[in-house]
Amino acid sequence: MTLMDHRTYLLSTICATLFTKLHQKNEKKITERRSVTSMAKTQAAHSNSKAASLHWTAERMLSVLLLAMGPVAYFNPGPVIDYSLAAALTLHGHWGLGQVLTDYVHGDTKIKMANAALFLLSTITFTGLCYFNYNDVGICKAVALLWSK
Amino acid sequence: MVLLVYSEVNQDSNLNLFCFFCFFFVFRTLGRQSVCLAKPQYSVLYRHVAPMGSTAKEEMNKFWDKNSRLNRPMSPHITIYKWSVPMMMSITHRGTGVGLSGAISAFAVAALVLPGSYPYYLDLIHSLSIGPFLTGLAKFGIAFPVSYHTYNGIRHLGWDMGKGFKIPEVYRTGYTVIGLSVITSIALLMI
Repeated sequence: MTLMDHRTYLLSTICATLFTKLHQKNEKKITERRSVTSMAKTQAAHSNSKAASLHWTAERMLSVLLLAMGPVAYFNPGPVIDYSLAAALTLHGHWGLGQVLTDYVHGDTKIKMANAALFLLSTITFTGLCYFNYNDVGICKAVALLWSK
Repeated sequence: MVLLVYSEVNQDSNLNLFCFFCFFFVFRTLGRQSVCLAKPQYSVLYRHVAPMGSTAKEEMNKFWDKNSRLNRPMSPHITIYKWSVPMMMSITHRGTGVGLSGAISAFAVAALVLPGSYPYYLDLIHSLSIGPFLTGLAKFGIAFPVSYHTYNGIRHLGWDMGKGFKIPEVYRTGYTVIGLSVITSIALLMI
């Protein structure tokens, strides 16, 4: 064994020991973290992403439903389609505006406030449309009357 | 893998033993990287690779954290891009959506707040000297945004099914939407 080889051997042993120590420490930390919070976090993230995917699908289904409601409202106007339109239009608008807020409102507090305000607006809108359907002529008739002028 | 490397280097000199240790830790590190979330101390080798097992939500959070850390402008940015027809159409889709939603909300609030009935106010507006202009404007104000948002919404549903992403198709469907919306809203104003 030359001197060079001997030095390398020593160096490698020291490095290996250091590495192992560091590694065990990290491993312990990682294991602890994973067992306590990360599992819960990962699960929450998974359910979040599943919820986001379901929400995406629901948005598309509602859009297709709203497309179908147009001809129904024209050929078969009445209270059923009036209330269906009130619900579908409000929800479509609520989700659509929610996307705009997601894009342009940043910061935890601001997002919460904006979403609360949107929820309030959507609730008032739905209430108002239902009130109009119940106490006034209803959505279908309202459009028909405007077009008769 | 590690065992294979070990058996190869075991008979050789101590320098190779050092190599073995390096290999060992690199493999251990890479192996762990793919299992758990990205740890900053391991990210040198795999910096440009999204670690396996991370969800869309985590990736999104990372994206937003980086954006706010670097104080980046908002996305989609409104003023920095060269204007194009698909971009204008996308903005118009959002604009008509927000506008129609606002109109519906305003209508709903008016229904709750105003004492009179809808036919009463409609007759009142119609009896004004500029009444027919106002009702015509209202008709166009409903007809164009509704038809545009509807046709472009169908275009969007096509994209959602993975159809029509080639640039010539984007333009073709775009011009079709604009044409159909103009024709439909004019036709609706005529009846």
